[in-house]
Amino acid sequence: MSRIPRGAWVCALVACLNAACWSLITPAFQTPDEPSQFAYVQELAETGHKPSVNSQTFAPAEEIALQDLHQELVQYSPQNHTIFRPAQQRQLEHDLALPLSRISPDAGLATSEPPLYYALETIPYFAGSAGTLLDRLTLMRLFSALNAGVTALFVFLFLREALPRERWTATVGGLGVAFSPLLGMMSGSVNPDSLLCAVSAVLFYCLARGFRRGLTLRLAACLGAVIAIGSITKLNFLGLAPGALLGLLALTVRARQRSKRGAYASLALALLIAATPLGLYVAHNLLAGSPTNLPASGSTSLIISRSLLKASSYIWQFYLPRLPGMHSYFPGLWTTRQFWINGFVGLYGWTDTVFPAWVENAALIPLALLVLLLLRGLVLARQQLLARRSELISYAAIAGGLLILIGASDYLAYPRETGTFAQPRYLLPLIALYGAGLALAARGAGRRWGPVVGAAIVVLLIAHDIASQLLEISRFYG
Amino acid sequence: MRIKLVLAGGLALTAIGIFVALLHSPTTVAATNGVARTVNLGPVEEHERICQAGETLPADISAIQLPLAAVTGPQVDVEVLAGARVITRGTRGTAWYGTVVDVPLTPLHRVTAHVTVCLELRFITGLVFIHGSYTSPTIAARGERALAGRLSISYLRPARASWLTQASAVIDHLGLGRAPSGTWIVFPIVLLMVCAVALGCRLILQELR
Repeated sequence: MSRIPRGAWVCALVACLNAACWSLITPAFQTPDEPSQFAYVQELAETGHKPSVNSQTFAPAEEIALQDLHQELVQYSPQNHTIFRPAQQRQLEHDLALPLSRISPDAGLATSEPPLYYALETIPYFAGSAGTLLDRLTLMRLFSALNAGVTALFVFLFLREALPRERWTATVGGLGVAFSPLLGMMSGSVNPDSLLCAVSAVLFYCLARGFRRGLTLRLAACLGAVIAIGSITKLNFLGLAPGALLGLLALTVRARQRSKRGAYASLALALLIAATPLGLYVAHNLLAGSPTNLPASGSTSLIISRSLLKASSYIWQFYLPRLPGMHSYFPGLWTTRQFWINGFVGLYGWTDTVFPAWVENAALIPLALLVLLLLRGLVLARQQLLARRSELISYAAIAGGLLILIGASDYLAYPRETGTFAQPRYLLPLIALYGAGLALAARGAGRRWGPVVGAAIVVLLIAHDIASQLLEISRFYG
Repeated sequence: MRIKLVLAGGLALTAIGIFVALLHSPTTVAATNGVARTVNLGPVEEHERICQAGETLPADISAIQLPLAAVTGPQVDVEVLAGARVITRGTRGTAWYGTVVDVPLTPLHRVTAHVTVCLELRFITGLVFIHGSYTSPTIAARGERALAGRLSISYLRPARASWLTQASAVIDHLGLGRAPSGTWIVFPIVLLMVCAVALGCRLILQELR
């Protein structure tokens, strides 16, 4: 602990404070799937069992709170604000005090998710047992905010490992991540995305450390543990896993030059630890006589049955402009800009809270400057980057795997609900690469101006964060 | 010194930007057409033009709010016609989200009764749902076929009061829907953000030299 730089702790604290601020601003149950996530924790805490039903009918205690908060009326409907009359508040407080059942096997969309995040969230759930359901929710959100701190801390450490010569750039990247409004919103709510984000930041750090210092048994155990933890945090980790395994293999190949035996022992240890949750899952199902279908297997066969070529074309267009000869899946849409850039600028609440169009247009100017600086940073560092290509390929594989997973999920929703997964929050596990992009952009300004530009980038992101919080306030309480 | 200047200048610009934004007025509903949003009048899957007669356009309207719901909203072109003449129009591009869409209109300075509101949905990806109330076919909105009822439409314009003058009402509102309720919530929110910014700036001054 004493070897962790002070800057990393400060970044972690800033991220926690920012996420805590978001948790207080965002109305109860007005972030993606929060009613389902809360229901999962409640069921786990009250019965010790995972929920098993997905029909969006929660326990009576939660249902009445949702009803009194006008949750459904507000969700997806920016024209409707949260409750605003003292009488409505009195009704809410009255109903929260009723001795209603907190048990229901239904956790809606969250039902299929693995249990780690929810199990951790039972700690604040129990800690708030003297209070009402909303007190518990507040504590759970604050607990989740700690994940933002872990994320920023490990992004800082990742940047120190990945860009060791310009140590100051880690501050730019770490603070950039800490002030990210999207990370703040998601970590300030009850959602496993926050833990997934933290786990993926640790994964990037472990890989960077391995590529810089070599694979040791201890690091291999850490990498295996991170993969294992990720796989029981959220199904989306499946997208990151192939790249993580590729990175592990690349590290093994490198380590083989020093000691073949040591390298293979490290690989075996990492794989053993990484595969433990999967092994336990299969063993449990075999003993219980249940089928051992993996959650992704159904989706994969559905995609293959629809044609892999069409799926590839769809996934390409989900992120990038259509190439000649491709069927148009998104007519009239420039997905890169409208889904991803505008979404990055601001897409909050239940994806129903956005900035006015002029803000989205104005944001293109600083964004373009950042991209230019990033490109310059990459050009300046091209020789070092070439020498580290196996490391970069591993990071690219992690990013590519996640992008394909999200794109494929949207393809499954096509054509009736095209764009369901076009939410930048799904890309939050790549936030370490975002931090690296900010650090490289600052470095791209050169030795003399780099720190000044770095400071300007952080101030810009602070402004973005505050503007996003005000947007959220105006949408829900205006 | 340069970094101090950047920080001070950037934070000052942010504060000025927030102040200017607070001087603007929120958009409010000036009038509705009185049609309740009770039923789904049917999904639209392809390019379609729908017109609804018997509307009254209030004065100084900056936008029209239409009861359309979509995962990824299509482009919506709106024309308001008095007889056969278009008196105002506007367009909202693709990729809007939610259960309503606000389409900006060129404001007119007088009330105009007996107008027809026509909306054209283009570049549809997925389903678009239209909400309103069932009515008799004679007064129902019409696309290529008659819809089962009328659309619930709201007309928007900027409020008279700015965000700044409404600040206390917003703070009161912020205090509701939570337990314990109260305007005290503003203090931790401000305090947390001030601490975060102060810590961030201090770190920059120490590390970026």
